[in-house]
Amino acid sequence: MPGPYKETDLTERVEAFLSDLKRGGTGAGPLRGSAETARETTALLRKITAQARWGSAGDLMEIIRKEGRRMTAAQPSETTVGNMIRRVLKIIREEYARSRGSSEEADQESLHKLLTSGGLSEENFRQHFAPLKANVIEAINELLTELEGTTDNIAMQALEHIHSNEVIMTIGRSRTVEAFLKDAARKRKFHVIVAECAPFCQGHEMATNLSKAGIETTVITDAAIFAVMSRVNKVIIGTQTVLANGGLRAINGTHTLALAAKHHSTPLIVCAPMFKLSPQFPNEEDTFHKFVSPHEVLPFTEGNICKKTDLNHVPTFGKSFSDLDISSLSFFFFLNTSHFSLRISGEILSKVNVHCPVFDYVPPELITLFISNIGGHAPSYIYRLMSELYHPEDHEL
Amino acid sequence: PAAAAVAVSDESVYRSASGLSGRKGAGDQEEEDQPLQAVLVADSFNRRFFPVTKDQPRALLPLGNVAMIDYTLEFLTSTGVQETFVFCCWMASKIKAHLQKSKWCRPSSPNTVHIITSDLYRSLGDVLRDVDAKSLVRSDFVLVYGDVVSNIDISQALQEHRHRRKMDKNISVMTMIFKESSPGHRSRCEEDDVIVAVDSKSQQILHYQKTQGLKKLQFPMVNSCIFGSLDEFEIRHDLLDSHISICSPQVAELFTDNFDYQTRDDFVRGLLVNEEILGNQIHVHVTKDGYGVRVSNLLMYDSVSSDLVRRWVYPLTPEANFTDQEGHSCTYSRHNVYRASGVSLGHGSQMEENVLISCDTSIGANCYISNSVIGDNCIIGDNVVLDHAYIWNHVHIASNVEIIQSVICDKAEVKEGVTLKKQCVLAYDVVIGPNISLPEGTVVSMHHPEEEEEEDDDEFLSDDAEVGHRSDKTKQKVFNPAEVGAEGKGYIWKASSLDDTEEEELSQCLWGRAAVHRHGTVFHMEVLGTLQRGLEENISCDNLVLEINSLKYAYNISLKEVMQILTRVVLEYPFQQQGSHLTPSQYVALLLPLLKKWAPVFKNYVKRAQDHLDCLSAFEEHFLEQESHWAAMVKVLMNMYELEILEEEMILRWFSQGATGDKSRQLRKNQGVSTV
Repeated sequence: MPGPYKETDLTERVEAFLSDLKRGGTGAGPLRGSAETARETTALLRKITAQARWGSAGDLMEIIRKEGRRMTAAQPSETTVGNMIRRVLKIIREEYARSRGSSEEADQESLHKLLTSGGLSEENFRQHFAPLKANVIEAINELLTELEGTTDNIAMQALEHIHSNEVIMTIGRSRTVEAFLKDAARKRKFHVIVAECAPFCQGHEMATNLSKAGIETTVITDAAIFAVMSRVNKVIIGTQTVLANGGLRAINGTHTLALAAKHHSTPLIVCAPMFKLSPQFPNEEDTFHKFVSPHEVLPFTEGNICKKTDLNHVPTFGKSFSDLDISSLSFFFFLNTSHFSLRISGEILSKVNVHCPVFDYVPPELITLFISNIGGHAPSYIYRLMSELYHPEDHEL
Repeated sequence: PAAAAVAVSDESVYRSASGLSGRKGAGDQEEEDQPLQAVLVADSFNRRFFPVTKDQPRALLPLGNVAMIDYTLEFLTSTGVQETFVFCCWMASKIKAHLQKSKWCRPSSPNTVHIITSDLYRSLGDVLRDVDAKSLVRSDFVLVYGDVVSNIDISQALQEHRHRRKMDKNISVMTMIFKESSPGHRSRCEEDDVIVAVDSKSQQILHYQKTQGLKKLQFPMVNSCIFGSLDEFEIRHDLLDSHISICSPQVAELFTDNFDYQTRDDFVRGLLVNEEILGNQIHVHVTKDGYGVRVSNLLMYDSVSSDLVRRWVYPLTPEANFTDQEGHSCTYSRHNVYRASGVSLGHGSQMEENVLISCDTSIGANCYISNSVIGDNCIIGDNVVLDHAYIWNHVHIASNVEIIQSVICDKAEVKEGVTLKKQCVLAYDVVIGPNISLPEGTVVSMHHPEEEEEEDDDEFLSDDAEVGHRSDKTKQKVFNPAEVGAEGKGYIWKASSLDDTEEEELSQCLWGRAAVHRHGTVFHMEVLGTLQRGLEENISCDNLVLEINSLKYAYNISLKEVMQILTRVVLEYPFQQQGSHLTPSQYVALLLPLLKKWAPVFKNYVKRAQDHLDCLSAFEEHFLEQESHWAAMVKVLMNMYELEILEEEMILRWFSQGATGDKSRQLRKNQGVSTV
């Protein structure tokens, strides 16, 4: 009886993934990169495909949609998860169409057909094909291999964009940008300015990593972005999500950076793998923002009193401590005036409202170029990539 | 009492427990790989939330519309605990039912939850003794209460703890987790305010003391060799006790060995006192990040709720719906406003900031809501003002109501035109109004306070089935319309309606006002008892001094207070024995031999000039209260002088020094005639 055992194992995996997503990110973005999240999601979907009970493509899609809704609800800001679910749904559609012997491509080409046919309805997926499972798993494996290579594919294009003795500015820490710059540094010599990206200051980590790779690196505060921009030849940033309109949802401070770049007519290049492309639009307010604990902005506490007490300076009835017989005595500890001021600060702290958003929206008109694992694109071209990657019916899970 | 701990328990747990003990001797090398265990005490063993917890155990009270125990379990699970033992006592069946429905008991949960119930747990000590008796824990475990809300990452503390245990075998038994937080921060509980002396290098606790609202604290140097041998130590008052501790299995054993340990404070104090003998140490882990607070009274409930809504406990935020309840997801929008599905808001109503509204609640027109949490299926009328209001589920609030910093429990009803001032509590099913204003700190419950008094002790133990039984028995007492309004239902709970010992607990109960003099009075009783016994059993004065000294440390009383209390106890002793109807001459006759007998005790304490004055001021205080015995006063004073308890010079100084009131001036005059 491997069936039920397998199924509990599967739900266990899904639950673990869900709670991981929910806890993911203590503030400084997700604990792991979105590439890893994408891979994990896809691997999990492959497991579902392999182990869940389903008879036809329709059943499978229903199962994946159901799990997908839960996964996206667990951490709405992590759009990669939803994107991978849409990719897998698209794979199932394609494999099903192939098994039936018809090509779905033709349907999308003509606007007239799109309007009249209304796409394949759910009933059409009811037919049973024995090899479908193997085919779908095969295709998902291909997707996984594609995901493995995304960062390298982007990094490979670095030499086309970065020239010698250029000054590059970036913000915060993006694993993709880091790989991109490091790749370029193998051949070219250039200078990177990193905006620290307060309050999480991932920029510090980025700068350390870059300088370890032998790149000349400078860290600046976010406030200095505009002042330094005039010296910069190119701005290269990463992003959390590429939205359907070609805009970005990126780490806080990116909008400032993009506006400064626009003002100085500095090109702004976004390194974004395809799996970050989301059919979401920036007006979906509920899921767009992510607010984390205000701890980073305003610490819960500041300082402590009477740290590192020196025995000789503790007041004991006016005598210095060394004069007294230690064993028979006790010494007093006064909650003195410095304590009083701390008490005040504590009380004020509890009255303050602090907000700590994580993301910025960057409108598409501020972006010059997207570099993805399949090449460079203008923001206006994003809609086209979107229709290649996802089926229009899957935009809403 | 320790032996009684093993009791009625779940069969399934027994089975698993025996399975565990079988594996216990698996060897020390495996300790690292063993799944992390936790002991969750889902009972507070006190009555802080009393009229409210009569219907619902504290662990299930909603905080941000989620039961408190769920926060604790989520904390444990996210920190990597794989097996949790939940110990319940009061209303155990409710907690059990709740947990079995929750996601923690699903087979897919990474954290296996065992529920262990017994009516006989009366303290944390009993629970841990039971842990030891059933040998539930195999290696280090996390000890928390069921009302701790936290997102602290304890993995580092755990690592440090294991490292310490590896370095010197089994010396360090416990690591307490503290959060840095400046004094006066609203998430610091006044009752739990501690001062800790820590070795800077090893983070070992050298001294641990609750401040109890005192401004001046004394650090005994009894363990001076420890203080002396250190280069550097820290005395810290900026720590917030998160009530999370990582314990070695020895902790449970130590509780068994010392059956008088009731709370963790007893344990810490006991271990520090006996450190040199037993060699056990306690360490601290201080964290700057994260949030970890125990909801120990309603004031804390207020501040933890608002911290939760302000996202300090991220990722445990209301919209995360970490408990996976259907239909409980809510959306988050600007100014920390959370709204679940089915919430309707009337025309002109404002949700100012930090508001959480759960599903299917409807709010009328022109309401003003800020810093509040509202539960499921509530109906709120027009022109309602809510500020710091915590409204649980199925509550009806009519129009023109104003509620400030109050808690309203399930199914309560507030009629038109009612005003609830600060810190009011309406317990389950209470009806208030119409057109009445409740003064500050009013507590209204459907349970009559007297019914409580009658069957005091078994109440604490009783099961919820018994509670239902009792409510039938309740005599049909009439609700007082002056107190709860014309259509009101419920009884006002006043602190004064309870007997003295209860009063102290209750006055600080719900909103946690600290009772400062509590230890003083207990000490007073103890000294009286000691002297009484000393007289009966003819104990020598040296031994009496010794006993009083140990009491002084136990209750943390300053030398000055000891003197004053001792003086008063001795002076009151004749009244205590014979009743207050003594004539002055009888009083003197009884007192003088006592004074003679106990003179050495006094001499031990009254040494410096200030001591004499303190003693005299206590003396004065006593006689101010006993005006009819002024005649005796001179004789007593003379006697004390003759016994060399008090010096002449000091008496004169006291005499000439300022008299504070009319009465004391009179007193001096009366007595001055004879002395001078």
